[in-house]
Amino acid sequence: MELLPQYLANGLVTGSFYALSALGLTLILGLMRVVNFAHGELYMLGGVMGWWATTRLGLDFFSGLVLVAVVMGAFGWLVDRFLIERIRNQGEEPGILLTIGLSIFLANTALLAVGTAPLKVEAPISAGPLFLGTVVLTKLRVFAVVVCALLIVAAWLVIHKTRLGRAMRATFQDPMAAQLVGVRTANVYAATFAMGTVIASMAGMLLGSIYSAQVAVGGLVSMKAFVVVILGGMGSFAGAIAGGLLLGVVEALWGGYVATGWVDIVGFALVILTLVFRPYGLFSKRAERA
Amino acid sequence: MNKWSQLLSLTGLVAVSTLASAQETVKIGVIEPLTGSVAYNGLASVNGAKLAVEQRNAAGGVLGRKVELVIEDGQCRPANSVNAAEKLVQRDKVVALQGAFCSSATAAVMPVAEKYKVPFVTGVSSKADLTEKGMQYFFRSAETDRLMSKTFSKILADKLQLKTVAYIGVNDDWGRGGVEDFSKDLEALGVKTVMKEYFDHGATDFYTLLTKLRASKADGVFVAAETQDGSILVKQFKEFGIKTKIFGVGSWATSDFIGLTGDASEGIYAAVPYASSLANDRNKAFVEQYSKAYKEKPGKYGAAGYNAMNIMLDAVARAGKAEPEAIRDALRKTDYAAPNGRYRFTDKGEGYGFDVVLVQISQREPHVVAQSATEKP
Repeated sequence: MELLPQYLANGLVTGSFYALSALGLTLILGLMRVVNFAHGELYMLGGVMGWWATTRLGLDFFSGLVLVAVVMGAFGWLVDRFLIERIRNQGEEPGILLTIGLSIFLANTALLAVGTAPLKVEAPISAGPLFLGTVVLTKLRVFAVVVCALLIVAAWLVIHKTRLGRAMRATFQDPMAAQLVGVRTANVYAATFAMGTVIASMAGMLLGSIYSAQVAVGGLVSMKAFVVVILGGMGSFAGAIAGGLLLGVVEALWGGYVATGWVDIVGFALVILTLVFRPYGLFSKRAERA
Repeated sequence: MNKWSQLLSLTGLVAVSTLASAQETVKIGVIEPLTGSVAYNGLASVNGAKLAVEQRNAAGGVLGRKVELVIEDGQCRPANSVNAAEKLVQRDKVVALQGAFCSSATAAVMPVAEKYKVPFVTGVSSKADLTEKGMQYFFRSAETDRLMSKTFSKILADKLQLKTVAYIGVNDDWGRGGVEDFSKDLEALGVKTVMKEYFDHGATDFYTLLTKLRASKADGVFVAAETQDGSILVKQFKEFGIKTKIFGVGSWATSDFIGLTGDASEGIYAAVPYASSLANDRNKAFVEQYSKAYKEKPGKYGAAGYNAMNIMLDAVARAGKAEPEAIRDALRKTDYAAPNGRYRFTDKGEGYGFDVVLVQISQREPHVVAQSATEKP
């Protein structure tokens, strides 16, 4: 039992990382109804670019993060205008095929460009241990959790408190009505996808500084993000956070008290249970769009 | 992903092989993971094999012809590796195969090699029972987990004076096999097992595992992991403030591993079949050539790919013709002087005679602590 606080701390830290990794996915899924299978690859690109910015360009972590956000935002915008635009309003299948294709393209392009070696993103602070009573954390992890929280709050503010956010919500409630009152819906779609991309790539760089950035990481990240989104409900901010923390804590407890070798079983068992008993997610208000 | 990488590797090959193809070449198929979580090590093995071929071709090739490698991505998965083997034999008409890396993938390719009667050498796959299946065309120029475990357990118990050991392994047949073998041999020497845990390929966060490890109060921790997983694990060991002696199997003494883990690599012991700091002339020459070609020192897998390919090419040369049966018979008579000892094969195709070393990493360089040749099993 004396290990419980440590397990909970481990779970909450990984849980907040899961929440941040899933945020971009739930945004795009909830607002645009696009199942973005390239989410993990966008995360991976963030990590790879973060490595490039901090070690090759010699930038510090925060300038690198800004650079990654700007470049990936532009990239997300272009992907929406040139690719997703073409399959808008054609049902879900073309979107799924498109994003799967995009994920394969991105993963292999990155493989060709930087190879298979794990890449080190220079961290902003040292990774030395930090003791809170019997619980061990590192400064870097505490820092990352704080950045996670800030990013999540910032994304929430953009969507709920700005003009762009209002336009986004209007567009996804009823595109026709939004157009009639003068919202440029094409730009709104592109901005939403760009925002999802920025969050995914920033998560990739941030977590790349704690673990390491790898080209092959995309599939695993997408998988966990889908688990979180299904647990929390599509498009729900609170859901993504609660789903992420729940997954992190349950995995840590399972690993701690049962066996670390079967940790991945937990997430998927949770998903199956959620789909059986609460198919709209644990925290979702029913999908309101017809 | 598969199609893409095949296409990529093929285009690369075409570029390499156009020069040689003016005359008919001796084709050898290589199946290694070039994508996925062990891709990094797979690539090192391919690099070693390429170096062996380049040297051979520079010296006139074999049987008066140039050697050509046809490389396929098996992804360490049985199904993909079998497809790759079928393609290499049927379409590319290779005379011999090397590879598959992961033991499970190699086990799946073995029946294919047997069916088409194509000699098949692995320089990496270490699962003990591969050579126990009565295959006539399969050879292994790698240390088995059993062989490593037997040779090292004694050194570890004596040198490190361990009383209790915790075991951590990657969750596959290799990792589980390594943990089982070492725990059995160390227990026989009176070292108590206090923990056995596994993690999945590609796992990134080990804090839960480390919490358990700290609670177990072990003197030493044994880890079976490859570069990517292992480097993250070791970094988190140090972050977590664990000061237990760490000894690992897998590619731990490589410059990449040390580069990735940084200062956290200080003091780690690694049981490896090869270290670039081995002191002998053959190894010095090999390290020099490898470093020139790839801008890094060879690790376990670079050496494994190099040795396996040289053994194969020697056999083709001794066979005097590029025919599978002649090559197989020649392989059985292998006595190859490698950078790390002399390789020979038993009747079952089991390699022995090469050296294994225990190294300790200090100031970012692996230093040999103990070295001993593997005996005929």
